[in-house]
Amino acid sequence: MRSAGRLGLAALTALAVLSTGARAQEPYPARPITLVVPFPPGGVADLTARPVAAAMEKVLKSPVGVVNKTGAAGAVGMQFVATSKPDGYTLLLALSSISIIPEADKLFGRPPAFTVDQFAPIALISADPTILVVSADKPWRTAKDFIEDATRRPGQIAFSSSGVYGTLHMAMELFSHAAGIRLRHVPYAGAGPALTAILGGHVDALASGPAVVLPHIKSGKLRPLAGWGAARVAALPDVPTFKELGYPGAEFYIWAGLFAPRDTPPPALATLRASVSAAVGDPDFRAAMDKLETPVAFKQGEEFRKFFEADAKRLAEGVRQVGRVQTQ
Amino acid sequence: MLTTDRVAGAALTLLALGVVWESRKLPLGSLSRPGPAYMPVVLAAVLLVFGVALAATGGRAMKLAAVSFAEWRHAVAIFAVCAFAAFALERLGYRATVAVTLAFMLGVVEKRGVVFTAAFALALAIGSFLLFDTVLRVPLPRGPFGL
Amino acid sequence: MVETLQNLALGFSVALTPGVIFYAFVGCVVGTLVGVLPGIGPLAGISLLLPATFGLDATRAIVMLAGIYYGAMYGGSTTSILMRIPGEAASVMTCIDGYAMARKGRAGAALAIAAVGSYVAGTVSVVALMFLAPPLAAFALRFGPPEYFALLVLGLLVLAYMSGGSMLKALAMAALGLLLGMIGIDQMTGYFRFAYGVVELGDGIGVVPVAVGLFGLAEILATAGLATPPAVIKPKLRELLPSRQEWRQSAWPIGRGTVLGFLIGIVPGSAHIISSFVSYAIERRLSKHPEEFGRGAVAGVAGPESANNSATSGAFVPMLALGVPSGPIPAVMLAAMMVHGVSPGPLLIKQQPELFWGFIASMYVGNVVLLILNLPLVGVFVNLLRVPYPVLYPSILVFCVLGVYAVNGSVVDVWIMLAMGALGYVLRKLDFETAPIVLGVILAPMIEMAFRQSLAMSDGQYAILVTRPIAGTLLAVGGVLALLGLKPLVARGLDWRARLALAGKGEERL
Repeated sequence: MRSAGRLGLAALTALAVLSTGARAQEPYPARPITLVVPFPPGGVADLTARPVAAAMEKVLKSPVGVVNKTGAAGAVGMQFVATSKPDGYTLLLALSSISIIPEADKLFGRPPAFTVDQFAPIALISADPTILVVSADKPWRTAKDFIEDATRRPGQIAFSSSGVYGTLHMAMELFSHAAGIRLRHVPYAGAGPALTAILGGHVDALASGPAVVLPHIKSGKLRPLAGWGAARVAALPDVPTFKELGYPGAEFYIWAGLFAPRDTPPPALATLRASVSAAVGDPDFRAAMDKLETPVAFKQGEEFRKFFEADAKRLAEGVRQVGRVQTQ
Repeated sequence: MLTTDRVAGAALTLLALGVVWESRKLPLGSLSRPGPAYMPVVLAAVLLVFGVALAATGGRAMKLAAVSFAEWRHAVAIFAVCAFAAFALERLGYRATVAVTLAFMLGVVEKRGVVFTAAFALALAIGSFLLFDTVLRVPLPRGPFGL
Repeated sequence: MVETLQNLALGFSVALTPGVIFYAFVGCVVGTLVGVLPGIGPLAGISLLLPATFGLDATRAIVMLAGIYYGAMYGGSTTSILMRIPGEAASVMTCIDGYAMARKGRAGAALAIAAVGSYVAGTVSVVALMFLAPPLAAFALRFGPPEYFALLVLGLLVLAYMSGGSMLKALAMAALGLLLGMIGIDQMTGYFRFAYGVVELGDGIGVVPVAVGLFGLAEILATAGLATPPAVIKPKLRELLPSRQEWRQSAWPIGRGTVLGFLIGIVPGSAHIISSFVSYAIERRLSKHPEEFGRGAVAGVAGPESANNSATSGAFVPMLALGVPSGPIPAVMLAAMMVHGVSPGPLLIKQQPELFWGFIASMYVGNVVLLILNLPLVGVFVNLLRVPYPVLYPSILVFCVLGVYAVNGSVVDVWIMLAMGALGYVLRKLDFETAPIVLGVILAPMIEMAFRQSLAMSDGQYAILVTRPIAGTLLAVGGVLALLGLKPLVARGLDWRARLALAGKGEERL
């Protein structure tokens, strides 16, 4: 056993020497870049990240590898990037939930896994407004019907979500707060089960990205009532937005964006922004996003920062409005 | 008389009490609206019952003294090497960690020859990395010098 | 019917082109390779290798994924049988009797039975999938939280039958497992429970690290230091195949496991994992020689392996018929389809019949390829037992760490595996069975979620659990089972459990 200790000690010493030895100024990128996806393979984030990484590889002439670091609804991977070395070689592809998690941590008075200001935004890649769907066998034909009924029977209409304080939950809360109604929340473990629940008739309503529910709308099982976007969804031109209906507070997007740790050197950030900017124009990338039916919404620099901050503010308010789930 | 069942029953009882104590920080909720502490407390109560029952009825089980722990040195050594592997995996990288771990286990714990140990450890470390990271694109951690 | 057959012909015309068969073959090989790794089962295998299929066209990618999936499934049972390391939660039951068979020199037979059982289950359930998918899918969707809760409670009651030794000890272990399953974010309120600041514990402790730790690592810790390490087994060619008696003993378990697994599998969610546990319990209950279970009963390998395989095929029912990601594996498959521009959903069958039927046909092809591939491989794999244990176990450990780490890219999972290994080692010394812990860890979050979702749906009315027809029926069945379980207490006399204890007395502890 003694030799095990000595061995470990030797390894540790070697490690310390290596990590303190400062790297000389080198042209960026000189090594493979790691793009961390805090969700499992096959999810929206993962399916967005892979074509982005492939397109960036072409521009940067350096490998960009996607690594899935999953856990705690994305908090694990986000925390990993927030605390990783700000050298431009570790990037994060995050969804809207990046602004929700620290707020929820705050709500429960626990030390936050990370904070939003630990990240330097690089670029927004896609933004998909959620839409409100109900079971087709329910009587509500319009959002107005729905709101009137919900006002008459507070807490009786049930909706499913991808999880408490998850994106789909927040969308619904922003809407019910704006409309002044109270709905019954039945959280599920992920967007898939939430969709299964409404298809099985176990809940009445669901907020969801359009691509996922479109086939079920076409087959007549679900009915769209309204959208959370600033503009109508292209595939559903007859469905109004909540803004049009007079609820400007109900604005919500499921977006995907690239981030780096906050102290990443500006030249590296500039290189990354330029590469993403070129990447989103790449035809292979466009084709991949078309297949996912996810609209590309490229924003970078100041523009993305503004979008991100406004969104974060809206969501923070949303989380506070929901407050802690009442258990008494 | 200390028997295996009594010891285990007592340990489970203590664990159950610990869980109830730790659950005090979480809202219990009500019968119709169970809170986060509801299930843990219910389960801890169940475990408590089983634990006490085990301790009470375990008089006829195997005596603790009869349990052979002859291989404990080996077990502790293996466990320690694994702990080192877990500690080093993301610090030294996959290949270095596996090579060191294997070399130690084969060479020191199992006392195999130096040549065999070195060859086997290196081959397995590099080979498995090649197969999974390079061919199958399952990302494995790299250490300093891109190892 | 005729239409289905025509469609199937179309599917086979897609699946039997050389290019497609090639990818089915590659998928099976790669899947087997990855599945042989401890800790990597079908789900992890598919998720890890999904990116590797992005470059292919849609049909080939799907066919290759189906191959990976079947391969990983089979590879998982290989490590369970040869090394007592489960590749996933569902093969925990295979570990028990499969490994016991291997130590008795029947590794080849166990592997062959597992392969044939998986093949039969896979093929039969694809037939069922083809003809029954639409009506079954509609039925499956009626499984909401109350029905799910009832089903899981039924699964929990099965626990009482699982253990060979004392029921009290089994129940205590199950309660311990259920408590371990409480760790992590409370999904109904967002509170962190028992995580003590470790963010990685937010999702709870994974089933794979627990299973690998309790079974694989504990086994190594307990045996590596024995004065006489496990003997090197030199299998003879003649002994590779199951004997006529072993075939006869596994025929019915395979049949029952197939039906049972399929029925449990179509329920959306992760309930399919319990199918192998339930199958094991049923086989032991029905067996004329329950005392053999745990000591190398061939039925204890055949039943759970078949149930597991057909359950995961059953999980494709809602996915294919309705486009609903009805479980973790179908969800990854759906994602793969989306990457290739196939929009999953109720219209898939009409809009892209060659893909849909190609997928069905490729499941047949995958099953056949695996059988052809794996029966000869049995001869290769059993040779692993020729490696002296002092060289074998360090390599197993390395692959345990690799497998557990790779699934989430998380070192915390490796630490969990280590902790569970230590726990399993101690429990083994104290003569406790660890399988109920694994079942508890699996069931705890699901039962709690379903229970609280049900109450959220009904605004706190417990009546919802019994008034809905499916849920009520399931709970009634559970009630009857519980009463039957109590019968021996009242009726006294020697039931099978007592006979078992008697039979076990003479034997030395393993």
